[in-house]
Amino acid sequence: MPIIEAHGLTKTYNPDKVPVHALRGVDLTVEKGEFTAIIGPSGSGKTTLLNIIGGLDRPTEGKIRVDGIDLSTLTDNQLIDFRQKNIGFVFQSYNLIPVLNVAENTEFVMLLQKRPKPERERRVEELLKAVGLEDKMDKRPSELSGGQQQRVAVARALAPKPSFILADEPTANLDSKSAFNLLDIMEQLNREEGITFIFSTHDSRVIERARRVLSLVDGEIAKDERR
Amino acid sequence: MLLKIAWRNIWRSKTRSFVVILSIAMGVWALAFILSFSLGMTYSYIENAIRDQWSHLQVHHPGFSEDKLVKYYISNADEVLDSLAGMPEVQAVTPRTIVSGMVSSSRGASGVEVVGVDPELETAVTHLESEIVEGGYFSQKRKSEIILSRRTAERLKVGLRNRVVVTFQNLDGTITSVAFRVVGLFSTGNMLFDEGRVFVKRKTLQSHLMSSENPSENPGEFIHEIAIFLHNTDELLPVKKRLQASFGNLQVQDYRELSPDIELYESQIQLSNTIMITIFMLALIFGIVNTMLMAVLERYRELGMLMAIGMNKPKVFAMVVLETLFLGMVAAPLGLGLGWLTVFLLKDNGIDLSAFAKGMERFGLDTVVYPLLSTELYLQIAVAVFVTALLASLYPALKAIRLRPVEALQKV
Repeated sequence: MPIIEAHGLTKTYNPDKVPVHALRGVDLTVEKGEFTAIIGPSGSGKTTLLNIIGGLDRPTEGKIRVDGIDLSTLTDNQLIDFRQKNIGFVFQSYNLIPVLNVAENTEFVMLLQKRPKPERERRVEELLKAVGLEDKMDKRPSELSGGQQQRVAVARALAPKPSFILADEPTANLDSKSAFNLLDIMEQLNREEGITFIFSTHDSRVIERARRVLSLVDGEIAKDERR
Repeated sequence: MLLKIAWRNIWRSKTRSFVVILSIAMGVWALAFILSFSLGMTYSYIENAIRDQWSHLQVHHPGFSEDKLVKYYISNADEVLDSLAGMPEVQAVTPRTIVSGMVSSSRGASGVEVVGVDPELETAVTHLESEIVEGGYFSQKRKSEIILSRRTAERLKVGLRNRVVVTFQNLDGTITSVAFRVVGLFSTGNMLFDEGRVFVKRKTLQSHLMSSENPSENPGEFIHEIAIFLHNTDELLPVKKRLQASFGNLQVQDYRELSPDIELYESQIQLSNTIMITIFMLALIFGIVNTMLMAVLERYRELGMLMAIGMNKPKVFAMVVLETLFLGMVAAPLGLGLGWLTVFLLKDNGIDLSAFAKGMERFGLDTVVYPLLSTELYLQIAVAVFVTALLASLYPALKAIRLRPVEALQKV
């Protein structure tokens, strides 16, 4: 069963004044275990599509089902719970909680889910080892490099074992070495643990590694390439 | 985790947090000081009124408080005095003979209440002796001595050792004039009290009240008032009840009944405290709202991220409320500590307001005010800070949960 099914997604900003059509009837299906990049020039609708898939925004028209649930039927509060349980987010500018250290940031969503402490500790250790930050557990985000912060963000997104990870331009603020390192980690997690990754990007380094590339042009899928 | 985040969040902007904490602490200190000052002043007024005028309890003939006539004496005064002597709560008792009259000199006259006292017993109940500012107290030898207030003496234009004539009615209704020699001038600080009373020896006054027309009707003693001073004000009601039960024919009144202004003062303390606390809360609330609003708006993007990754609205709301409460919880003890220190430092010397002596004396107030803070007041202030912080947190917290994560995440 597909993890994501989108039919006829449209998104129009300022419909009553100067309408901006961010998405124009996008149909999309994503299966479990995909490593998919959504590419396109600025303003093509990548982030809008990601926001709608992640339940952060609602489409003007069309249906989006995630894990079999029609997101349009959920209230804002239900959407927050849904995101907490099903989706891991990695943002372009890391967005870690500055007052928590690396371990606490990684543990955060699991705490919201009220997972037992031993499970949380085990998972934090396992993930920080996987992203190569086991020796930085007590550091605050401000004490880490951009690459290290983004790796913490990936660990945080993976911690509650979500259905899939949505990453909005995850390598945009990273140098090449950090970007490759991050991609290696994500690719490894995808391959070994079957975690589904969906990126929006126009970073060629990410595009090269993706096994499926969706090209968005003017809010429409212009090309759907599987490798 | 929520507590940890909230606590750490308030230290993210140390300067801002310190400023708001200091402003709350200063507000708390100012409030504690004003309340302690007001309480000290009220307490002193009540204490003075009890010590100088009313005592804790007074016993009278039921008709006496309506009409201060000679005939309304306490017929069973001995029994009352015996009964009081057996009560451990009673510190001191003094009987008084009281008659309305006029005191006059060659240069003036004044309507007064002539109070006949037993010099030694009176000293144990009131401060009359220690309030003599010129001359002395009653001597052992002379019978016709009078103590006037300095104000009355000024009005009559008499001084020490001068003679004054006191005129009153005796039991028959016959006008009697008796000459007294001024031995002392007192000043309690309460103008109304000072101008309204003169003190003579009870035995002397009593002898002039006796009926000459019907000597058989004369009582052994003319006691119109028995003033009772207790060890502790808290014992007032039980003692009063026992006296009322034992002497149903007499009127037993406590100082609140005798002096409605004291009762008003006491009942107004809480009201005035509530008003001052409310003003303080109003002044404080805007400062806190402003600070917390800034804290929320600055972290708009972060709050959006928290909601994006699954922190629900009640938790975001609680986080902002907790941050505000923490600010109050740090500031309140600091302000209360400063308040306590101020009261402690002023407890021996008080605040000298002698510059306003005239006005204060007019209202029966001491010119030195000793600030006073009760545990109850400390608690009231602490609760006020808590409630203020809670109320002040609501708007910023609502603002926080109303944000749309998708928009907040795009904020630069």
